[in-house]
Amino acid sequence: MTDQQRSNTPKTDQIGIITGGSLKNNLQARLTVPSHEVQEGAFVVAGGEKDRWLFYGLITDLRLEAHDPRYAQEDLGRRLSPRLAGLLRAQTLYTSAEITNTLMMEPGPDPLEDPEGYETWFQSVLTESVPPQPAKTVPLHHAPVRLARAEDIALIFGKEGEKAFFRLGDTLEQGHPVCVNLDRLVQRSAGIFGATGTGKSFLTRVILAGLIQHDKTAVLIFDMHNEYGPDDIASDTGLHVPGLKGKFPTKVRMVGLGRNATIRGARPDYTLEVAEADITPEDVLLLAQELNLRDTTATTLDALRASFHGTWFSEFKKMRTNAFVPGDDGKLEPAPDSVQAWAESVGVHGSAAEALHSKLRRLFNAPYIVEQPAANALQQMIDNLDNGQHVVLSFGDYETDLDYLFVSNLLTRRIREVWEKRTNDFRGGKGAPEPRPLVIAVEEAHKLLNREMASQTSFSTIAREMRKYYVTLLIIDQRPSQIYDEVMSQLGTRITGWLGDSDDIAAVLTGLASRDALRGMLARLQPKEEVLMLGWGVPMPIVIRSRRYDNVFWEELLQPKTSSRKTNTVFDGLDF
Amino acid sequence: MADHIEIGRLLRSETTGFVFGCKLDQIDSPSFGALVRVRMDDHYQIFGLIYDIQVQDDGLVRQLITSDTLANEAWLDTRGNRTVPVEIGVLALGYMLDGQVSHLLPPRPPLSLDEIFLCTPAEIAAFTGAGRMGYLRHVLRDQDKPVEELLAAHLKQARDVQSAAGNPAWFEAALEEVIALLKDDYPTLMRVLGAVDELELARDRQSELNGRLG
Repeated sequence: MTDQQRSNTPKTDQIGIITGGSLKNNLQARLTVPSHEVQEGAFVVAGGEKDRWLFYGLITDLRLEAHDPRYAQEDLGRRLSPRLAGLLRAQTLYTSAEITNTLMMEPGPDPLEDPEGYETWFQSVLTESVPPQPAKTVPLHHAPVRLARAEDIALIFGKEGEKAFFRLGDTLEQGHPVCVNLDRLVQRSAGIFGATGTGKSFLTRVILAGLIQHDKTAVLIFDMHNEYGPDDIASDTGLHVPGLKGKFPTKVRMVGLGRNATIRGARPDYTLEVAEADITPEDVLLLAQELNLRDTTATTLDALRASFHGTWFSEFKKMRTNAFVPGDDGKLEPAPDSVQAWAESVGVHGSAAEALHSKLRRLFNAPYIVEQPAANALQQMIDNLDNGQHVVLSFGDYETDLDYLFVSNLLTRRIREVWEKRTNDFRGGKGAPEPRPLVIAVEEAHKLLNREMASQTSFSTIAREMRKYYVTLLIIDQRPSQIYDEVMSQLGTRITGWLGDSDDIAAVLTGLASRDALRGMLARLQPKEEVLMLGWGVPMPIVIRSRRYDNVFWEELLQPKTSSRKTNTVFDGLDF
Repeated sequence: MADHIEIGRLLRSETTGFVFGCKLDQIDSPSFGALVRVRMDDHYQIFGLIYDIQVQDDGLVRQLITSDTLANEAWLDTRGNRTVPVEIGVLALGYMLDGQVSHLLPPRPPLSLDEIFLCTPAEIAAFTGAGRMGYLRHVLRDQDKPVEELLAAHLKQARDVQSAAGNPAWFEAALEEVIALLKDDYPTLMRVLGAVDELELARDRQSELNGRLG
């Protein structure tokens, strides 16, 4: 028997052997199966069941190799008979794989020989009493490499339906379920990225549905394009897309912006109006780019606040511009209720104040900003979030960047203040209850978290604080490179679909040790199908075929016991 | 026994091989690439592969060649009574001790005038089918010998025997071993496989011919 024959002896699902590598770089494996049986991003396990450690990693590169280059360059099929050529190719031409060495774990009992022992050990892994640990050594030479089995995936990523494990998709080759730990996902801010049309919104819906169903976290969604709350029609397929409100009618509260808001023709549960008294100068400064504000704006706003305190917005709005009255000397002078008069009285440059007033006219005229809202919708939203409900704020007809930036930032600031106070009360030993964790989902995040604005918005504060005050972000964006580096580096979990721009790819991989290996993988993801998960919420990066947002999804989520999904593995008896 | 064909006696030997001699009229039996054995005693036999057959000249042959006519009697006398033996070189491949085949070199070489026998199909099947074909490395060791042709001839003989013995997979396994042993030597391996390819083609042609003849 030749070495080749020996290596071809069936050893379960082996695909190759380890031939080299290091801790600093990746592992190299020689494949014993044809290259087309393995794909980039495949989750593999190195090491035998009797070895001290099993190593877990991803295939990040595949290379065609030859024992001698002449074997590759010669057209063997023309020179030799098909049988001889085949035998020669089998031994001299091969594929090598580059594998990230990410995690290692001691193998548990054999599930077939000792099912009970294995189950006990498996549960101890899920409860993290025997967790997988970062790889601190490397596999032996010629350690067998195999594609991960369902139980490997369950060990590393959790088992669907147990604890907070939520299936986000399946492995590429064998379709084994890959879960994300929802409790862990919301412990730090997270991001969902992908170029336009790569299924980002569907993936976001899947995650939001999972969070709502899990019911441990309150979710506030700033629904700029009215996608998440109401039912919708997919732009590409024309199929009906269920909204979160329709599927969780009692858990999800739809809030419309403005007194007469309708969302896709339907009335929301209630409407939100912004009280003028709630607006701070900082809320206005945030709109510097949108309103083309000058450098003098901050000074003018400070003067307004100093003059009128909490009613500065209302008072400023009431002032007249270009209003003059004859003075005692017959000359025209600023009217007492004019901007100019106020400016002169406080020593602010009149034309700067006039210009600011003019530029704030878009806010003055916004129908959703009123002096006295009909109801305290903000408090109602907070109550909803407290009471185990989730809020989708739909912007209805107010889809401009100005509306989105202004309202989302103002609300987030107010809500965060509430959560901060509650957290302090809870930690201050006042017997206050522990705040319910809150996730704020923000679309078009680069508009709020770009380099210029990041330091001014509440969002960047939340991202930096992580879960200090029980509030985290779920940011959704197609241009992660436009988001400020410091914010990106604070994101715990990143889930990304296909990205074409190299800057966007680099941004998503910011701060990751294995970013070089993952970069190519990210650029070759199948749009609308595959996503790369990495960061805090998952033990190691992995490419998955994302879960479809369809009727099957809802059936599985809402009626898991009658799920049509069937996983056929030899471990069915062990409930995998 | 009739199937134990003696083909000569040993002239000289060393650990890696030996040379035996036979008369000119015995030359029909040994052939290039054939597997032979030397029976040392009841428990110990040495196996080898014929890699060279040399017919030496002598004074009489030289005279006869230069004569104008060659009488039939002289020709027959030279073939039957010539005192210069045909020298046949054998590469040692292994041995059998107490019925166990080993593909290591024999512990001691055969001795002068030991009898050499052609291996029977059963002996060929037993020797080539034992172990992991380690004997092939001895064939490939000496690049001064016509390795390609020698391997091709041996593989043909062994393939036919193994197929007849119900082990057609042997041939492919042998080729895999040859490739494994020679893959570092691209030119030699390609020459060997070229020679083996000739075998395949010849067999295909023979099968086609047999098919036509019904």
